[in-house]
Amino acid sequence: MPTPGQKRLLADVKSSLSRAIGEAQIEERDYRRTGCHLEVRLEGTGMRRAARCLKEKGFHLEMVTALDLIEAFELVYTYFNYQDQNLRVLVRVRLAREAKPYSVSEIFPSAIWLEREVYDFFGIRFKEHPNLTRIINPDDADYFPLLKTFGKTKFTAEIDDVLC
Amino acid sequence: MLTIKTIDDSNIHQRVYQLNLGPQHPSTHGVMHFILTLDGEVVVACDPHIGYSHRGHEKMAENRTYEQYLPNPTRMDYLSGLIFNYGYCQAVEKLCGIEVPKRAEYIRVITSELNRIASHMIGIMDFVMGLGAITPFVYGWDDREQILDLLEMVCGSRLTYSYGRFGGVRNDITQEFYDGTRRFIDRMRKRLKDYHDLITGNIIFIKRSENVGVLSKETALEYGVTGPTLRGSGVPYDVRKNEPYSAYPEFEFEIPTREEGDCLARYLVRMAELEQSLNIIEQALDRLPPGPIRADVPRFITPPPGEVYFSFESARGAVGFYIVSDGSRIPYRIKVRSPSFSNVFVMSKICPGHFLADVIAIFGSIDVTVPEIDR
Repeated sequence: MPTPGQKRLLADVKSSLSRAIGEAQIEERDYRRTGCHLEVRLEGTGMRRAARCLKEKGFHLEMVTALDLIEAFELVYTYFNYQDQNLRVLVRVRLAREAKPYSVSEIFPSAIWLEREVYDFFGIRFKEHPNLTRIINPDDADYFPLLKTFGKTKFTAEIDDVLC
Repeated sequence: MLTIKTIDDSNIHQRVYQLNLGPQHPSTHGVMHFILTLDGEVVVACDPHIGYSHRGHEKMAENRTYEQYLPNPTRMDYLSGLIFNYGYCQAVEKLCGIEVPKRAEYIRVITSELNRIASHMIGIMDFVMGLGAITPFVYGWDDREQILDLLEMVCGSRLTYSYGRFGGVRNDITQEFYDGTRRFIDRMRKRLKDYHDLITGNIIFIKRSENVGVLSKETALEYGVTGPTLRGSGVPYDVRKNEPYSAYPEFEFEIPTREEGDCLARYLVRMAELEQSLNIIEQALDRLPPGPIRADVPRFITPPPGEVYFSFESARGAVGFYIVSDGSRIPYRIKVRSPSFSNVFVMSKICPGHFLADVIAIFGSIDVTVPEIDR
């Protein structure tokens, strides 16, 4: 159960987020099952507005990652507030396959590396990123390893058949 | 009349140059590579390069079942592997809604705090060895050796543990382990005094670490720094207190912080944490409840579709396991938020303006594990 302080901050964050991006896309989540208090759903844009809004409330950018949903990508950002109340907000951005999302690195410098990692593994090109190059894979790599199409062989297909 | 001739320096060009520190260098604690831009001996820019020990743990997760992935998290951070092992188990338990028996939670706390001490021992001693003090390093490894012997009794391995299971742990602790841990606590408390005498009061150590690599609260927030590095900057953020998990709410312990934010502060925070870990282990041993050590969980688990973010405190900071399940026996995606990844990036911000030798001190005081950065 959220504490009174968490409820206050939750209502505060919700109202300022809904001013920034629209109310329909914000949803409360069960912390005990998902580990997040609030989920924000966005379509293609708005991650910068959300990031700016959350930074004002004292959140820090914890993680950026992507999901390969075959027909589309989904960017997942988690923000955590350790200064005021312990609150985690998950921002989910649905992207078309070839879309170029905006980088949040000018708001949170930690995103410079986190977004480079997303580019490195998924091939998602962030706009206005200061240095979007390979970070973990070799500089001359021509593959994006975490795409679902990467590394599929006859052998792994057999494993999938047996296990799924 | 005497005229003093000075050297005409208008023809001497001051040039900045680049120096590669690593990837093969003893004080980079693994295969870490820094490209330093230097002006004389002063660092102008520091550019950390990572990826030399990337093994694709996140891709591996997409090709094996939840049970088959159990040994992998340990290999990410090999120094506090047990904590990662439990963290993965707890994330999956949260996803499936599995309740863990109390005795198992206590055993997890005891062993992960032992592992934290072992990891901090390396962190501290590698740091001071980077500054030229070889003797404390040997003492520190002696203490770590005692812990590895204890953990070997219950886990069966010394470094790459795979002791946690979904719903509990693999096997119960023995009386030998119980007594040995008691003895270790007494021994370690005496040794901590020795370490303070040997290192903390040493004038060379203080000169090398005080006011070096000062990290402000604001920078730490912007760069996502966590763990002892953040607590050295005066922020009392520890996942064990902020988002209590496992049996941690049942124990009394403090979160040591320092306001200075320099290398010395980070060292002192780690030293204080050793004492707190010993207190936690002692309390857990005193109140170790009887009962089963593993919940009744099917041999092969199939989590319901959904996702979970589980955060826990490793020896280096807040780790996050983000698991997405599509309802099959293979995870759809496992993303690990590793603390060292964010902690090492902040070096590009705090190193400029320091001497080259201070880069080693800063890197040592942040205490990163390279395989955890690369995964």
